[in-house]
Amino acid sequence: MRSNKGTWLLLAPGMIWILLFLVAPLIMMVYVSFWTQTTFSIKPDLTTQSWVNFFSSDTYFGALLRTIRIWLTVLFVTLVIGYPVALFIGQFIKNKTLQTALLVTCVIPFWTSFLIRVLAWRPMLGKEGAINIILQKIGFIDAPIEVLLFTELSVIIGMVQIYVVFMVGPIAFMIGRIDESLIESARDLGASATTIFRRIILPLSMPGVIVGSIFVTVMVLGEFATASALSGRKVNLLGNIIITQVGSLKWAFAAVAGVVLTVVMATFVAIMLRIVNLRNQI
Amino acid sequence: MLEVRSISKGFAGVPAVNDISFEVSENEYITLLGSSGSGKSVLLRIIAGLLEPDAGEIILRGEDISKRACHERRIGFVQQKYALFPHLNVFDNIAFGLRHRNNDRITDESLITRKVSEMIELVGLVGQEQKMTGQISGGQKQRVSLARTLVTSPEICLLDEPLGALDANLRERMTIELQNIRKELGISFIHVTGNEFEALAMGQKMLVMSEGHIVQQGEPQTLYTMPQDLTTAKSMHSFNIFSGDMMADHLKSGLKGKAPSAKISRASHCAVRMDKIDIAKPTAKASGLEATFLTSEFLGNKVIYFFKTNDDRICEVEDHMSLSEPKHLNPNNAYLLSWDAADMLLYDENKQLIS
Repeated sequence: MRSNKGTWLLLAPGMIWILLFLVAPLIMMVYVSFWTQTTFSIKPDLTTQSWVNFFSSDTYFGALLRTIRIWLTVLFVTLVIGYPVALFIGQFIKNKTLQTALLVTCVIPFWTSFLIRVLAWRPMLGKEGAINIILQKIGFIDAPIEVLLFTELSVIIGMVQIYVVFMVGPIAFMIGRIDESLIESARDLGASATTIFRRIILPLSMPGVIVGSIFVTVMVLGEFATASALSGRKVNLLGNIIITQVGSLKWAFAAVAGVVLTVVMATFVAIMLRIVNLRNQI
Repeated sequence: MLEVRSISKGFAGVPAVNDISFEVSENEYITLLGSSGSGKSVLLRIIAGLLEPDAGEIILRGEDISKRACHERRIGFVQQKYALFPHLNVFDNIAFGLRHRNNDRITDESLITRKVSEMIELVGLVGQEQKMTGQISGGQKQRVSLARTLVTSPEICLLDEPLGALDANLRERMTIELQNIRKELGISFIHVTGNEFEALAMGQKMLVMSEGHIVQQGEPQTLYTMPQDLTTAKSMHSFNIFSGDMMADHLKSGLKGKAPSAKISRASHCAVRMDKIDIAKPTAKASGLEATFLTSEFLGNKVIYFFKTNDDRICEVEDHMSLSEPKHLNPNNAYLLSWDAADMLLYDENKQLIS
């Protein structure tokens, strides 16, 4: 009985923290999403009006679909770029110091502020930006490519650059943990390099892919700054909708968008955690 | 069947194995004994194809396989730490080679099941097939690792300290089982170990390695009773080695009967088996090498007595319980140690046995 009491006492601070700062705000957000919103005020009279408005409006529902599309594209591209980089760092670099140095190199852009990192893409992608000038100088193109900036593409480029490191880190960590003797055993058992990658390295690095995907997902789904800075406010994500609605004091509508985002994130994380049991792997 | 010819390999200019040659016959169990850093594991990895030699050839059934990739050699390699695939269960671990090897891959699942089941039965893992590798004991992991290699029917199987991580009881059991499994399959094993008892007990032929060289090879009994090289004698951990200025004096005092003076004058080192030394209390009549008794170690079937000679060397004497009762010696008291000339081996300055 005493030990039971002790367990509860030890658990209490964490439980209180989670209840106060996670469960209560979530419940509050769901609750507020059903409040009645008028132009200048909000009343706690329950209604589904904000929900109906959200799903019946092309602007808002379109923003949801756009957010999902950009998120999945960024997720895919960060994985396609991040996995080979992580494989190189984790598997081909045997020197642990060099491994760490390369991982640190990946986070060098983080030494500057988020906004500067995002805005730095403008002089790169603009009509008279670095990429267009170089391509024109080498004669690859005659006229500047306009689609590079203030489009969905520029948002994707910016997000991939910012978030790819969150994919590289966990995967490189998992690949680096694969014991060299496993690879040697597989070679000795007759497996070729491709088979070893498919049958040993890839499955053993999956927890890293899952963790990386969760990181990228959580950050991209909550994004608003990159989208507005690199699309010239043309690409509206759910994050941008929330900011606008909160700015115009439309709390109920912002809460609806918040709940929808949370549901998308939670569903994705749940599916990912079902694919790989992280507790067994890490 | 397998011929290793003049293999050399160095790391950053430091030789790890140096001009090593030996042969393995059909259906033979070879043990390779050496202390850590002697180069034995490097040699094994070179044979397996996991390391490329700087010089030399490896001939398997008349064919030079030195340049072949590891997965094309048909040489099995059982890793020291088992190296089981943690994301696969016991069955899939064992089936890995059959399913995924580059050459002769088996696609018929029923054939794979039959072969893997036969191997599981041979190594005594029935009932463990669906368990993950984290759920089985060290001994079982060892069997999975062995089964995974043997099921691919390699021409020869290399074992890198296969019993090193097992407890003493299990090691003894696996010693017998490894031999039985090998006999059943009729293939040759090269078993690398740092444990002299394992090497003596298991090998039909034994190779002793030191500082990248093979110092002696032959039948275990010959190597134990008549080590041609002082390094071999040392690796048996059953000899007291006397060297240096005091050696001649020690021999003069310790020897029973007439000393072979001519041989002693040529000798730089002397080895005396621990179980061939007699202990006596110093009396007016008794003679022998004077040494102070330090302590004893009771090991069940034998007792080891530790003495210190006048030149501060430790001398060990082993008494088997089947031959005599444990002696009651007083610590820090002087005793006389003696042995027969026939039980003494003399080595020249090049550490070679003087016959």
